[in-house]
Amino acid sequence: MNWKSVLNLMQVERKSGRLIRGKKITKYHENRFLAYWPYWLALAIGIASGVLAGVIYNLATTADPELLSMFQEGTVSIFFSLPTLVLVYSLVFTMMQQIRLSGVKISTQVPYWLPVTWQEHTMASILASLMGFPLASVVFITSIITVFSVFIGQIVTAVLTSLAVLAAAFMASTITEVLRILQVRFIGAVYKSSGRAAVWVRFAGSLLFFILFYIGYFYVTSGGAVTVIQTIASAQTAAWFIPFVWLGISLYYFTYFTVTNLLIGFLFMGLSILFIVGLFFLATKLNMRFGLYEPPAITVSRGVYAPKTGFLGKLGFSTVEAALIRKDLKAFTRRRELMTIFIIPIIIIIVPLMQSIGPSQAMPDALLTIYRAMTFLFPASIMTMSLGSFMIGEEGQSAWRIYASPISAKSLVKSKYFFIVFFSLLVLIVTGIFGFVIYHPTVLYTVVAGLEAVFLVFALSALSLSNGISGADFTETPRPRMIRVEWSFLNLGACLAAGVAILAPFIPYALSSMSGLIPALLGGAFLDPFLALGISAVIAIVLAVIFYRIAISNAKELLKKAEM
Amino acid sequence: MSETSAVELKSVVKRYSEILAVNNIDLNIKKGEIFGLLGPNGSGKSTTLKMLIGLVQPDSGVVNVLGVDVKKDPVAVKQLVGYVPESPRLYEFLTGIEYLDFIGDIYGMQTEEKKTRITEYLKALQLEGREGDMINGYSDGMKQKIALISAFLHRPKLLILDEPLSALDPRSARIIKDFLNQLKNQGVTTIMSTHVLEIAQAVCDRIGIMYHGEILALGNMKELRQMAKLPDSGLEDIFLKLTGTDDIKAVVEELAK
Repeated sequence: MNWKSVLNLMQVERKSGRLIRGKKITKYHENRFLAYWPYWLALAIGIASGVLAGVIYNLATTADPELLSMFQEGTVSIFFSLPTLVLVYSLVFTMMQQIRLSGVKISTQVPYWLPVTWQEHTMASILASLMGFPLASVVFITSIITVFSVFIGQIVTAVLTSLAVLAAAFMASTITEVLRILQVRFIGAVYKSSGRAAVWVRFAGSLLFFILFYIGYFYVTSGGAVTVIQTIASAQTAAWFIPFVWLGISLYYFTYFTVTNLLIGFLFMGLSILFIVGLFFLATKLNMRFGLYEPPAITVSRGVYAPKTGFLGKLGFSTVEAALIRKDLKAFTRRRELMTIFIIPIIIIIVPLMQSIGPSQAMPDALLTIYRAMTFLFPASIMTMSLGSFMIGEEGQSAWRIYASPISAKSLVKSKYFFIVFFSLLVLIVTGIFGFVIYHPTVLYTVVAGLEAVFLVFALSALSLSNGISGADFTETPRPRMIRVEWSFLNLGACLAAGVAILAPFIPYALSSMSGLIPALLGGAFLDPFLALGISAVIAIVLAVIFYRIAISNAKELLKKAEM
Repeated sequence: MSETSAVELKSVVKRYSEILAVNNIDLNIKKGEIFGLLGPNGSGKSTTLKMLIGLVQPDSGVVNVLGVDVKKDPVAVKQLVGYVPESPRLYEFLTGIEYLDFIGDIYGMQTEEKKTRITEYLKALQLEGREGDMINGYSDGMKQKIALISAFLHRPKLLILDEPLSALDPRSARIIKDFLNQLKNQGVTTIMSTHVLEIAQAVCDRIGIMYHGEILALGNMKELRQMAKLPDSGLEDIFLKLTGTDDIKAVVEELAK
């Protein structure tokens, strides 16, 4: 294997994600130090955390020497849980990364016609998906444990753990590579067999996949890192037959040093290496077989012409606006990277539901209040915020079609705004029904929470759309950006502020119902709920009108400065 | 702007940072003319075409299209123009027919007219049977056909085509060439950029050769031959002589070493 080729390929793939986006540049010079800032940051935080933990350890054990053995034992148990923990987390993140890399086909096709072997290509792909968050986590973990081990005198264990953690992250990335190729082939087979229903099969299949994936993720992480470490530490040796825990087991036996343990440790280390090599071999074979596989074309319909405006015309939309809305509707049901938008509200319903039907115990009133409010207010608001910020950027490189067509700024904003409001209200209806059925709120609560959610939808749609237009990012590779990072944060902050402003008249109610939080502050601060609702409505309308106008003005600028 | 002019550019300048893409050009294209814009890569052809439809704003100068100032009323200009960019990116999640349906609606076509015209074009360009497939399953040639149909669909008065015949099979290319001549007879103006000089020579009434953001030569074949002082030559020799790239023999010999 030519490692120089591997590194070059890997860097090309990763670099595309780092380049300055949304700007016309004629000269570009990358500062290597700044380019790798996540790793430097992870290293700095890791070292600082290690020193802090070490100082705490020293202070604690000096004050109470009996704590020494407890600390030692606890630390070692954490150390040998880390490879399995890193494997699980890296798998989740590398899979998430793959899901978002819809444009990767374009950026990764070049190596296929370069004189690069399949082994080199596969290795580069594995390493590329390891870069970013998974590697930054590994840097953070290894630096924290190495520094802390100096204080507790476990340097050898820490070095071994660091190597095992790195191997675990590589293993996760290799598994992701195998699953990625299999998924492409599997999807192709499904398209072929489903005929004209393929587009809906894909929609339902993708949603199901995302939901199961996220539920699994939340299930694993909902107990927090400490619970996960405890579970792994206790269950790891019992589950010795699962290859994913072999790295942790070998570390366990190396740590509790006896000749027998050393041999067992080497055995499991050898098995781990064999397993990783086997996975890599499998990924390479699959790449050779299906790497260039193109899923068959999806046939949706034959000779169907949409009426000029149809139902949307009756709602007052022009032909242009109706066409844009219909086009966006198809985009959100057919583009995989956009389908993820539907996941958030579903997860927001499912996660509390899972927790509430978990080990049976009465839910505290405060928690119930939060869940109730979450079900009514959050899904629709989050949908609004996300859709608004993506609605223009999702056009991607096809945005020239909008620029080159006789579409006015007003029509563009009107159609996009309608789409956001329509979908968010749909989500509100569904989650509202769920909330009503599950949490049995009073009619007054349902009406107030429902109306507040409607106000939020109308105001936040205009606000996030105006931000989405200003911060639109049409980059499509290696994944669709849709909105520039700084605008995404700005939108989040602005929506949060606007949301608080709209809900302000009800804040005293919320605080009082949350198990009497700061009750003393609330004496006489309650407004009549309908008066509070009226004030909320006025704030929402004012915000909606202002930001709708700003959105139109931003759209005018966008269309004027097309520069495609 | 004269009544016979379809496009008029006056002292137009466009700069990208330190690169001068279009350098103070003046151009007048008559109604019903097929005008070819030629030039080496990076000579400013695509930027000029984009300025005609408002996709790029000139830094200075005036661009008039069919009597409308592009800067003042870009939507009105876009309504009158059919545009195909170089390597057009279509909405790949739509089917061919959905895409054309969308375009028809964007240009405000009546449903029946839209239906009839889409059917005719799909048949002519041999896309029948594939119109219900999602565009991401199309070949480059099929995508180019869809892009061309979307430019012709609303019967524009001006066609702006950037490399229109790239990726097309010979039959489709011939249909498009003949169709452009038919449209010319109906008074439709076409401005096209191409690197295939035989096409330009065969189809265009007048040709403008751009180089370093300027129009180096402008005229019909006879006038270009006179300018290049190559009385019996084809467009390729004229082009190479005028753009100063006639050192080909030396370059090839160097490469072959």
